[in-house]
Amino acid sequence: MSTTTDTNEKTDTLGDWEAWQTSFLNEGFTNLRRLAALPFLPEKMARVRKGVTPREIVYEEDRLKLYRYIGEGEIKHKTPLCFVFALVNRPYIVDLKEGRSVVAHFVNAGFDTYLIDWGTPTRAERFLTTDDYVNGYMDNVVNYLRERTGADQVSLLGYCMGGTLSTIYTALHQEKVRNLILLAAGIDFATREGLINLWTDPRYFDVDKFVDTMGNIPADFLQNAFLMLKPIANLIEKPINLMENIHKEEFVEDYLYMETWLNDNIPVPGEVYREFAKYLFQQNLLTKNRLPVGRHTVDLRKITCPLLNLMAKNDDLVPCAQSEPLNDLVSSRDKEKIVWPAGHIGLAVSGKAQKELWPRATEWLAKRSQ
Amino acid sequence: MDQAAAFQKLWLDTFGNVANVWSQFSPGSPPPEEMRRVRGGMLKAMAGAWDEFIRTPQFMEMMKASLNGALDLRRMGREGMNKMHEQFETPSKEDLDSILLAIRHVERRLLDRVEGVGDRVLNISEQLEKLDERLGKMDERIEKLSPGADRPPAAPRKTKAK
Repeated sequence: MSTTTDTNEKTDTLGDWEAWQTSFLNEGFTNLRRLAALPFLPEKMARVRKGVTPREIVYEEDRLKLYRYIGEGEIKHKTPLCFVFALVNRPYIVDLKEGRSVVAHFVNAGFDTYLIDWGTPTRAERFLTTDDYVNGYMDNVVNYLRERTGADQVSLLGYCMGGTLSTIYTALHQEKVRNLILLAAGIDFATREGLINLWTDPRYFDVDKFVDTMGNIPADFLQNAFLMLKPIANLIEKPINLMENIHKEEFVEDYLYMETWLNDNIPVPGEVYREFAKYLFQQNLLTKNRLPVGRHTVDLRKITCPLLNLMAKNDDLVPCAQSEPLNDLVSSRDKEKIVWPAGHIGLAVSGKAQKELWPRATEWLAKRSQ
Repeated sequence: MDQAAAFQKLWLDTFGNVANVWSQFSPGSPPPEEMRRVRGGMLKAMAGAWDEFIRTPQFMEMMKASLNGALDLRRMGREGMNKMHEQFETPSKEDLDSILLAIRHVERRLLDRVEGVGDRVLNISEQLEKLDERLGKMDERIEKLSPGADRPPAAPRKTKAK
């Protein structure tokens, strides 16, 4: 008996030894491949494009540019669709790359699709307020689209802060909005789930002093704040992951596209930042129907159009609890919410969202755009 | 003192959790896979400790103190620069900002006026429409009351095309 056991132990040790050897060899060869891939990284970075769907500028005002996406097929839906992005980042995340473009879904489905690029504010824009963006620029864009397309109303798709702006716009100009689609839009800031909500607590953050000293809020400050939401994942895990997968073509391409966008922050006009921090993050006036925008007060009950509220389950920036209450605050009868298993950016660009969520959203809009 | 304690707790938690991960190291598995597993565990442990720490009031107090310090420093620097600009009679950032602000105020006042005028025009046109309706009804009544009511209505007046 003991001889058999000894043989088994020896075989096990030999098995271990073989597994170790194979593992070391594999790791060694993979490391060589990783090293070989390293010199090509700058070239791949240079190939990153900012937006893939063909487009043309159809309207310009100050720094704002309105793009129209050019599809191959004919336009099937009368109501034009306008993407409204945040003032914090550049908007090409919604048209990131082939197979990861939200815009392409709508263009291919026959929507006359437009996107607002707010541009990069300079010191001259320091005193622009939410009123200027909503009742100025956005209203001008919507009026232009109505005139251009002959449609009475426009569908809006707002992402992140753009979702909040679209909601405010719809509440103030409901007669001009046919459908409202929101992606990870901050509405109810009472929740303390998100770190940004915690950090902007008036006990710890003097927004007036900050804006008065800084003017426009620098892109670096915002970028660092976003990185600090998940310091270990962003500062340690991410570079390790890149080094481990640097020999995988698709991984590197996705990584570079994402990183290019993530590091492409733009400053936020100081007064808009002040209003958002004070009225929304600190006083939560939007849900109380008391948010002042210029001479107007935003009343969410005035929203009556169909609403599709999309949220990301693992969103660190805009937790679901911040978007979800909207469906109960509006007067719309036709309203739907979808909580998608993704993060803030994954909601737009993840493979699963591209395959399942966006065809569903496109269908939702198509039914309501004739 | 609280902040030092919180910071100490963060590192103690981090090291404790990391040590815990290392204690599960199984030398039987091939080292590359095992190291990867341990690394994943370590990062998860560190992320957990940091996630907890950046939500504490102590961290936020630290953040507030460092931000205020940076802002004060910036303000002091700017005041120095302003004095220099004043001596050399050149425009400073604050001068430019005050000009921009003045322009904004003028723009705001003008826009408010335009918006007010727009509202009034809308109001007037609504009243005119109502007046038009009333006049139309009065016209109909006059038509009915006049002796030649059964006569066909006069042809509409032709206007010259421009």
